[in-house]
Amino acid sequence: MTLTTPMSPDGPPSVRIRDLTVVYRTAAGELPAVRDVSMDLAPGTVTGLVGESGSGKSTLALSLLNAVQPPGRISAGSVDIGGLGDVVQLRGDKLRQARGGQIGYVFQAAQNSLNPLKTVGKQLLDLGRSHDVKDLRALVAEARDLLARMGLDGARVLDSYQHELSGGMRQRVGIMLALVLNAHVVVLDEPTTALDMITQANILEIIREIHAERGLTTLVITHDIGVVAEVADEIAVMYGGRLVEQGPVRAVLGDPHHPYTRGLIQAIPRLTGDIDEAQALPGRPPTLTTIPDQGCVFRSRCALRMDVCDTVDPLFQSTGDRMVACHAVAPAATFTTTTSESEREMTPSRAWSGIGSGRREPAADGDGVVARETNEGDSA
Amino acid sequence: MSDVAAMTGATVTRATLRRNFWGSVWRVLLRKPSRLLGVVLMLGFAFMGSIGPMLYDRPLPRDPSVQFASPSLRHPFGTDFQGTDVFSLLVIGSRYVLLTALITAVVSVLLGTAVGLVAGFRRGALDAVLMRITDVNLTIPGLPLLLVLSTVWEFSGAWEMGLVLGLLGWGGLARAVRSQTLSLRERGFVEAARGLGLPNRHIVGRELLPPIAPYIAMNALMSLIVAVYAQVGLFFLGVMPVIGENWGVMLNRAVFDFGAMTTPARLPYMLAPLLAILLLTIAIVLVVDAMDEVFNPRLRVE
Amino acid sequence: MITGTNIVKTFKQRGNVLDKREVPALRGVDFTIPKGGAISFIGESGCGKTTLGRIIAGLETYDDGEITIGGVDMSSLRHRAQQPHFRKVQLIHQDPYSALNPTRTIHQSLHDPLKLRARQTGRSRQWTYDRAEELLNLVGLDPGYVLPRYPHQLSGGMRQRVVIARALTVDPEVLIADEAVSMIDVSLRLGILSLLRDLRERLGVSLLYITHDVATARYIGDDGDMYVIYRGQVIERGPTETIIADPVHPYTQALLSAIPVLYGVEQPGAEQVKPVQAADAASHAEDGAHCLFSSRCPFADDRCVTEWPRLGHAHESLQDPGGRVHACFHPVQRQVAAAPIQRS
Repeated sequence: MTLTTPMSPDGPPSVRIRDLTVVYRTAAGELPAVRDVSMDLAPGTVTGLVGESGSGKSTLALSLLNAVQPPGRISAGSVDIGGLGDVVQLRGDKLRQARGGQIGYVFQAAQNSLNPLKTVGKQLLDLGRSHDVKDLRALVAEARDLLARMGLDGARVLDSYQHELSGGMRQRVGIMLALVLNAHVVVLDEPTTALDMITQANILEIIREIHAERGLTTLVITHDIGVVAEVADEIAVMYGGRLVEQGPVRAVLGDPHHPYTRGLIQAIPRLTGDIDEAQALPGRPPTLTTIPDQGCVFRSRCALRMDVCDTVDPLFQSTGDRMVACHAVAPAATFTTTTSESEREMTPSRAWSGIGSGRREPAADGDGVVARETNEGDSA
Repeated sequence: MSDVAAMTGATVTRATLRRNFWGSVWRVLLRKPSRLLGVVLMLGFAFMGSIGPMLYDRPLPRDPSVQFASPSLRHPFGTDFQGTDVFSLLVIGSRYVLLTALITAVVSVLLGTAVGLVAGFRRGALDAVLMRITDVNLTIPGLPLLLVLSTVWEFSGAWEMGLVLGLLGWGGLARAVRSQTLSLRERGFVEAARGLGLPNRHIVGRELLPPIAPYIAMNALMSLIVAVYAQVGLFFLGVMPVIGENWGVMLNRAVFDFGAMTTPARLPYMLAPLLAILLLTIAIVLVVDAMDEVFNPRLRVE
Repeated sequence: MITGTNIVKTFKQRGNVLDKREVPALRGVDFTIPKGGAISFIGESGCGKTTLGRIIAGLETYDDGEITIGGVDMSSLRHRAQQPHFRKVQLIHQDPYSALNPTRTIHQSLHDPLKLRARQTGRSRQWTYDRAEELLNLVGLDPGYVLPRYPHQLSGGMRQRVVIARALTVDPEVLIADEAVSMIDVSLRLGILSLLRDLRERLGVSLLYITHDVATARYIGDDGDMYVIYRGQVIERGPTETIIADPVHPYTQALLSAIPVLYGVEQPGAEQVKPVQAADAASHAEDGAHCLFSSRCPFADDRCVTEWPRLGHAHESLQDPGGRVHACFHPVQRQVAAAPIQRS
């Protein structure tokens, strides 16, 4: 009933993810790709979800549509979307209507996710029919408006095949298809990967503008912190299937608390300033099979590692303006700011300067192998 | 000191590599018992075709008193019209059939792979010429050609038969290998090999061939089956002169000379070669199943 | 040292017999890779930077111009005689997943070029084993772990290191890295970049870094020249820090303006430039006498659509004393790059 009616006019919906766990069946049993993730997308905000390959960010995004494919499955938790209820409980037709209807998804390879044998217009009509849209004319008109809004010639694009469009144009078509059914929760998976700088800037600007104009709640998934900085209000950082830090973009970028966030930001070469400020993060990201099943997932690469990190999973808890999952910075919850001084006090044995030096005992991976992935090949 | 250490290190590495390969082949086979069965059957047929015929004295003993005897312990598939043991006929006949199939597979795979690799790697004019030859090969009508050739040759030796079938059957593989080569040569590692100055024979043999090896190996096994069916069919239909010892001749005689289709007592004489062909096919299909995993390191190592 | 003079390359698009279109990929490019130096080609996809890299590596032909490697003019040599020269130039591919043969172990991939090398230089077989371990150590990998493995058992970062080690087997003088980190996990990228920097320092190899990411190009070689390429033409060239701090060509300025700003850490440049049209929407007039960027340039005037500004030499107004040359009739320095926020 609520499914076919448009969203309530009282503003963009909220998204509440609670204790979400997604497991994949492998030869070694069911392994969690996303573990105990709780996260709120505030109505009307753009949240940037950052993570490397294998961090579980794409799996988490698919969970928002309840679209995790076997061998994966959502094993616990809920995803509450305003006006829609718990998506994890939706089945069959209701779920199909919700996807594309209330939740728009722009796929990772928007460059390749269009059907090469059908024009964009035909695919638009397919989408409309599968969602029981009565007035297809209005749908086409809406699509044309959206494309025009994004600086494209709508009529021409609808008549085009995928190969006739450039990467940036396809990305915009992907956004159009995600929004044309009046979705108010939009997930963009790597929206600018493989695009050029100027095109990327253009697309990010469009995302921001459309987000504001249509009153959306948007989740942008990317590996590029720069993209998040440009487009998002909130940043959420994932590592090894866990959420490790979440908070307002500028606050987190300006003063990252979690060692991983800090390392990630430090590893970005800058246009100006001291070149050697950029430091590589030692070790390498875990894969599904090498994620430790107890203790902190980041400890093998962490400069602040303590004994407790080996055994106890840090809680994802509020520290001032944000949420962080780290034993080394968690006590700072009582402070509103964390200076490097206080951090040094908290962890007397190791200091931040340890990051990137590569001068620590090598990280033993799950397969018992020592691989040197540091920035210093120290034996010539 | 470093010399010795490095030397042993290197030797160990290479030995480990080799052991790894056979170890993983074994693991791949163990993963499904059916594959092991396939290998055992294949080895059985290999033994049957190579050593088997030597175990019997020629001419085979005849016993006119037990014409078309039913299967028994002494005669697992009964006897034929002369009272000869059908099983021994089967074993002796297997050599021609299996050798022909082997020669066919070797000839067609060698030709098909070579033509496909060279055409795909060199491209240009040579490619065009080789592909036209391949097209001609694909359009040669096999049956009429064999009919004509049978007036000249008797095909009593496995070599003639295998050679002719092999020369008729390489076109499809050549086309497939060429198209795979064309796509592979655009890959980064082939370009890197060129950039490093490695010679063409290295690029073709070491870089291009291994990735398509599983396909070629499967093709070789499947062409064994095709060759068996083709030659048995030719003899059965009487296209080839009904002389010599092989399964096709046995089938032909069973059906056309002794009425095995109408006389149940003579049925074992016909069923024996059919059963052999069926088992051979099953063995090959089971082994083909393991082939991809054996050759693909991604599947091989868990 | 490698120099290129007026390199021209045109791709012939195969349509049908009647419709043969020629697509200019490089329109007379000059470049110099100094011995032990680092230069970068910057531009968007399709600008010709990759084609130029492949030409320098000897993997692509060129229609006109002259390339000299160590003073030897390549066009004076037959194809076979060029090979030893081009071997001094090794290309590191963008994609470490396709750059290694999936059916061969790292041991096999490294040993074939080393064996060839040993034969050429009369070294022993033992040398190849030692050298393989030495090179893997040099790129920061553990030979005992890596050698017996297949590429799929290694992470993207490790694979790219193996690819670099393989390129080093032939003792190259120049490494060309074409978007060498774009397919690698972000936390591992800087490790690869600093490895390339280290190799330059330690082995004295020159680096040519091809990318659309100006910041990584700066990281690799801030003391070298940066070439900004647009539609097959170098439109601005000069010392890397000069180009970033004070670009004068509007396209360079647009490119730098488009780089995401790390708000909270950085603040955007004061005079950001946006092209008036997206690259895919811009209708490019037939090549003739006009600036290639004029249809997207916010500052274009009549002169820009009637005359073609060549890099540097054609017009005296197109040079400035800092060693920078550009191809714009109206060069104005603009501060567009993001700068770090000064903190107390």
